[in-house]
Amino acid sequence: MNRAGIGRIFSDELPRHAEVVIVGAGIAGLGFARELVARGVRDIVIVERGYPGGGATGRNVARIRAMQLTEALTHVARACQAKYDRMGEELAFNVLFYRLGYAWVLYEADEVARMREIVAMHHRIGVESALLTPDETLRRLPILRGGEPVAGAVLNDDAIVHHDAVVWAHLEHLARTPVRIVTGTTVLAVTRGDHGVEAVETDRGRIETRAVLNAAGGWAGELNRPAGVIAPNRPYRREVLVTAPLRRSIEAAITFYRPTEGWFNQTLRGEIVMGVVDPDEAPGVEQRSTWDFLGRTAALMVRKAPALADVTVIRQWAGMYDITPDHLPLVGATNQLEGWWQANGWSGRGMLLGPYLAELLAERFVTGRTPPHLEAFDPDRFGPEPLADEAETDYYARYARR
Amino acid sequence: MPRRRAPGPPPDGSSRGPLVRFTFDGRSYEGFEGEPLAVALLAADRRILSRSFRFHRPRGLMCSTGSCGWCECEVDGRPSVRSCRMPLHEGLVARGEHAWPSVERDLISLIGFFSRWIPPTFYHHRFLRPRRLRKRYLDVLRWFGGRGRLRVDRRVDRSGAGRSRERLATDVLVVGGGPAGVAAALRAAGSGEKVVLIEAGRTTAAIARAGAAGIRVMTGVAAVGWYDGMLAALGDRVAYEIRARTVVAATGSYDRVPLVPGADLPSVMAARLVVDLVERHGVVPGRRALLVGAGPELATAGERLKRAGVSIVHGPVPTRALIAVRGRRRVTAAVVEFNGNKRRLSVDLIVFGDRSPNLDLALAAGAAVERHGDTLVPVLDADGRTTIPSLTVVGSATGRSGVGAGDPTQATAHPAAHPDAVVCFCEDVRVHEVRAELAAGYTDPELVKRRTGALTGPCQGKSCLQAFACVAGTDTVPTARPPLAPVRLGDLVPRS
Repeated sequence: MNRAGIGRIFSDELPRHAEVVIVGAGIAGLGFARELVARGVRDIVIVERGYPGGGATGRNVARIRAMQLTEALTHVARACQAKYDRMGEELAFNVLFYRLGYAWVLYEADEVARMREIVAMHHRIGVESALLTPDETLRRLPILRGGEPVAGAVLNDDAIVHHDAVVWAHLEHLARTPVRIVTGTTVLAVTRGDHGVEAVETDRGRIETRAVLNAAGGWAGELNRPAGVIAPNRPYRREVLVTAPLRRSIEAAITFYRPTEGWFNQTLRGEIVMGVVDPDEAPGVEQRSTWDFLGRTAALMVRKAPALADVTVIRQWAGMYDITPDHLPLVGATNQLEGWWQANGWSGRGMLLGPYLAELLAERFVTGRTPPHLEAFDPDRFGPEPLADEAETDYYARYARR
Repeated sequence: MPRRRAPGPPPDGSSRGPLVRFTFDGRSYEGFEGEPLAVALLAADRRILSRSFRFHRPRGLMCSTGSCGWCECEVDGRPSVRSCRMPLHEGLVARGEHAWPSVERDLISLIGFFSRWIPPTFYHHRFLRPRRLRKRYLDVLRWFGGRGRLRVDRRVDRSGAGRSRERLATDVLVVGGGPAGVAAALRAAGSGEKVVLIEAGRTTAAIARAGAAGIRVMTGVAAVGWYDGMLAALGDRVAYEIRARTVVAATGSYDRVPLVPGADLPSVMAARLVVDLVERHGVVPGRRALLVGAGPELATAGERLKRAGVSIVHGPVPTRALIAVRGRRRVTAAVVEFNGNKRRLSVDLIVFGDRSPNLDLALAAGAAVERHGDTLVPVLDADGRTTIPSLTVVGSATGRSGVGAGDPTQATAHPAAHPDAVVCFCEDVRVHEVRAELAAGYTDPELVKRRTGALTGPCQGKSCLQAFACVAGTDTVPTARPPLAPVRLGDLVPRS
């Protein structure tokens, strides 16, 4: 059995220089390191403020969904899902990719009308989602019985993975490469020279480098600032709770958008994870749990799925969505500073998009050519002015604007 | 009369309800109305109440605080109810969970024979080939997961469910109505401060005295979480949001199971539980007992058992003299070691007295902890204040009095702990599994936790945090999160 472990991947010593410094050992940073190594870049250091996967990567529920609301994103998401489906072989580590199924549950007539178009789009490009009638919805998703009357659902054969396993898979893979990770280390300043980035200053010393990847998740803005780079993403807290494990009782990962965005699903171990978004959440780096979240989530879940009243909450936590104005990430080089690379602003889709876009970004880094799927994520697409601190929380309105 | 019930009324003179009938796994039993389900089952000599998550080890009534979860079963269709806190009523229907065909005889427990080769992360190195079977493997894995059954079509009237919200502001909030909590409340009230005291359990004579002294006393109200200085607590009909200038944690201690193989077998019981069983319920849990460890309740337990006719085979022996507990479905023997000589003692009950401080509030508030011997305790100044200035700790929750643990000579006992001893009971994590992760390079406590699953189960570390810290060799612990104790989702619904 593979008991190789991660050996000496954690370096106690801060290297003095590196070809590439990656800030953040989450899915984006680890993924990029892996893809760079595969393309022959060897001298890579990952600087992590906490421990690997300690940010959003270890706090999300790892839904790997191909069906999206826009055609362009669905194309990319399918490639992202396929990337996870082969991750087991590629990294010799089973990340428990499992097609649990995924359902948007609809409660109002306008949602059904909108989804009819979206399902048609899915079918056009080969995603076999299904629009269910109310009766079919309750038959396929019995957990909703006795709850608020449904108007239908869109169901697709989408997947979940084990988010921690994805981190370990990357760590064990990188442990067999020259990549080293310094944990418990925060970047405080960035040195800019005439030709771009020259070094990063951490609380443990300075690393000279000509290339920095900002993969800092919710802290991406705090890292852009000392580099003098302007980007529109803002972190927003999102909360989660988890229950004691139950026998298989919920089919498909469920999401609904009315009256507000909420979601729940059961993990392979049987725990139920769930959350209801606070539409009034203010932006900012914030990972504390709130009491209001428990009440808000309990009220809406019991309304939608009354059987959930009996489940036992054992833990709640919070993580951050780093949200951009168009809810698409910033992945690529910025022309504001030579040698400054962005892989952030994931807007709640970092787990899904991270590994595949890291691959495309590494391709871009090494060859200088931008792969077609990467074009939509150009970090400079919003222009240099900072945007207003507003994140559209109505899901349909957000996409209707495009 | 059930087999384990002593004749006559309970020794402490408390009154009993009428006899009622209930069923467990289809068999019919009798017990007294209002007494805990787990006690009535023990009186009928049903000791196995649940099976552990991974290896289906038999588990029964063990702790005195309602926090271990070993007694969880399905009650009247609700999953995972702690039977030690479930009052008995006529016609109650209970079922064991997470076992086939039953918790008493669970064939899935045979998996335990292979447990050496099934580390917590075993599936990450298997089940990739052949590709077309990949989902099937995980379907099977999924079948093994879970505990309770969620009855989707169970229809209950929830019109009265939920809790209204009440906001309270006070000078001092005391959490816990034991002797230390009541004393702290009276002291604060004596110096003219406005005091609120909450207690999760019943009203005692001491709590009633505090109420008479002008303190607002709320019993049956359990703290749910510390939210940036606001303490949320759940009562029967009301959820309280309490802001206080000073919060006093008088939350007492948890029972500390000896870190030896077999210590999770049914009939290993906390001293405080044994005293309660004999005194309040007239239930005598064994015939031949071994007393282990220290702590103020151990001598009392020994004395009560002796008076009830139980022979005390040995004891008390120091915790480090206990090497192993033997038995398949319940305790049949203990192995002890004195001066290098091992002895096997034939016993059917092991009573342990060690306790560890309840750190829940301190950790929830983000207060620092430090190591005293083999025990983590909150860092306190001379006035009992933690590193969070608004949080004070008193009584056995300080870990400095009345817990019988924290022996500095024990600091080196845990590195020598037997590899097969269970560290985390919710997830069946053994000592060797924690050590394997450390050896593999996953040295950060947060990573050890995620890799092994230790601290992630329903008890969230209440029974294993101290052992985990010792074996993982850490003085810092993974982040604590609300709720402080498991809570039903339906109980969190706000009601206007």
